[in-house]
Amino acid sequence: MASKEELLQSLSDCVVEMEDERVEDIAKEYLNAGYPAIDGITRGLVDGMNRTAILYEKEEYFVPELLICSDAMYNGLAVLRPHLDQAEESRKQKVVIGVVEGDTHDIGKNLVKIMLESAGYELIDLGKDVPLIKFIDTVKESGAQVVAMSTLMSTSMNNMKKVIEMLEQEGLRQKVKIIVGGGPISPAFAEKIGADGYSVNAIEAVKLVDQLTKGAA
Amino acid sequence: MQDQMTPVERGTAIAQGLEADRLPCNPNIANGVARVYGCKISEFNHNPKAVAEAQVATYRKFGCDGLRIFTDLFVWAEAMGSQAALPDDDTADLAVPAISSVEEISRLQPANPYKDGRLPVLIEAMKYLAEMAGGEVGCSAGVAGAFTNAFFLFGVNETLRLIHKNPEAVHELSRVSLETCKAYVKAALDLDIGFGVTISEPMSSCTVVSPAVFRKFSLPYLKELVDFIKGFGVKPVIHICGQTDKIWNDVADLGIAGMSIDNVASLKDCCKTIGHKTKIMGNVDPGGVMYSGNPQDIRRKTLECIRDAYDSPQGYVVMSGCSLPVDTPFENIQTMMDTVRDVGYPVSLEKVEELLSQYAD
Repeated sequence: MASKEELLQSLSDCVVEMEDERVEDIAKEYLNAGYPAIDGITRGLVDGMNRTAILYEKEEYFVPELLICSDAMYNGLAVLRPHLDQAEESRKQKVVIGVVEGDTHDIGKNLVKIMLESAGYELIDLGKDVPLIKFIDTVKESGAQVVAMSTLMSTSMNNMKKVIEMLEQEGLRQKVKIIVGGGPISPAFAEKIGADGYSVNAIEAVKLVDQLTKGAA
Repeated sequence: MQDQMTPVERGTAIAQGLEADRLPCNPNIANGVARVYGCKISEFNHNPKAVAEAQVATYRKFGCDGLRIFTDLFVWAEAMGSQAALPDDDTADLAVPAISSVEEISRLQPANPYKDGRLPVLIEAMKYLAEMAGGEVGCSAGVAGAFTNAFFLFGVNETLRLIHKNPEAVHELSRVSLETCKAYVKAALDLDIGFGVTISEPMSSCTVVSPAVFRKFSLPYLKELVDFIKGFGVKPVIHICGQTDKIWNDVADLGIAGMSIDNVASLKDCCKTIGHKTKIMGNVDPGGVMYSGNPQDIRRKTLECIRDAYDSPQGYVVMSGCSLPVDTPFENIQTMMDTVRDVGYPVSLEKVEELLSQYAD
């Protein structure tokens, strides 16, 4: 029978090697052997996603590969997550993420979501073409610490600004860190609209959120 | 400052090594032409005359070198059965892909450019545009490349997965897309009105897929399309969004009229790498600079582009890195054109540096 370390390695490898079906079997085998779900996630699946991120940064992996690796991670998560302790689930920082109204391009948003989830954040994904009020309502309801907005369409850029203004009007602005990204977005634009940060890609988004939330804690 | 030559005269003079008034400049105004002309963008979905008149109005206002009949990337997929979302006053988007399973690929038929979707509107618009401005300014028919169009038939994320899960299906999608691209381009070039062709291949970008995937799944179809266009005696221009450095040679070796690059790619490196093979076009940031910058930002970035590319061996066109946002301030577009006018022709590096020093950060 495979040892815990071997199974963790297999979980990690399944993610890196785009084994989005085999990962479920390994995750089940891992649970059946009595090992804790939390390690399977952090030292198996997330480790695999971190290795995937390195391959992406080194330009060995591109969007299709990242997408299938993340499919594998999510398939593994679906098996392991129900076996997590409640406490392990609730101490995570929450991030509200969405593509602002007027845009339906969500590849970039999904990549950011994947990387933040694999870094241990709890993501509330509002999807694409999100009505602006939805960001505000979700922050209110969930008590999220971070709002991440993206758009590929320059026509929707100003909607990010509107969300920030709406958060201000509701007295919520100081309670959240706001990050923005997407094709037409620049650091200068992020600053101009009063966001807390900009990241050029999904990997940088994790570093940015780590940095911003550490400051808030 | 007024232009002394028409874009056609300017292009011809520069190509022959003769005197000209300035470098060619194409801000790439896209559907923002509706703002100049004073109609809603949705007017372009059914009114060919408006499509053409909006182009001409923009040319009269700014004197841009190059007009293009192109409304959005989705018209070809739409003509093959996908559904496009058509906002009242914004650029169209993909709403529902034509098919959702691999089994359905064999049911896809190449589009008929005279009949399907919005394609007849665009073909008709080309005739109007040629009548109104053909002799004065270079006009082209925009078309999405076969690989990119494949994504809009099957859905973007699903097609990305298919690259690994079912490579042959991606080829099938690209093949039927290519037939549509060819039929459309043929309809445009059969008009025999002196139009060029601009191929947009955003999904081929190194920001999306690896160079290996590009070479396997996109390049063969791109080559076939380019060769097909060359059969009409026309060399197309190719625009690919995002990073493209690792595929520059592949694209330039197709024997094209120009390569238009995004602002995330290095204009200087591009000129160095393929400037001897083809004309380079680019790459002022359309969102960060043209849309949200002030005129001083526009001047500086335009001058930096000129400095980096003016002496590219096969020529250089000042351009935005991609289509401009529809609400880009007119003042910024005017500033881009005027900066090129200020520099004049032939370009003196000294003068560019001097102008740049006036707008330093």
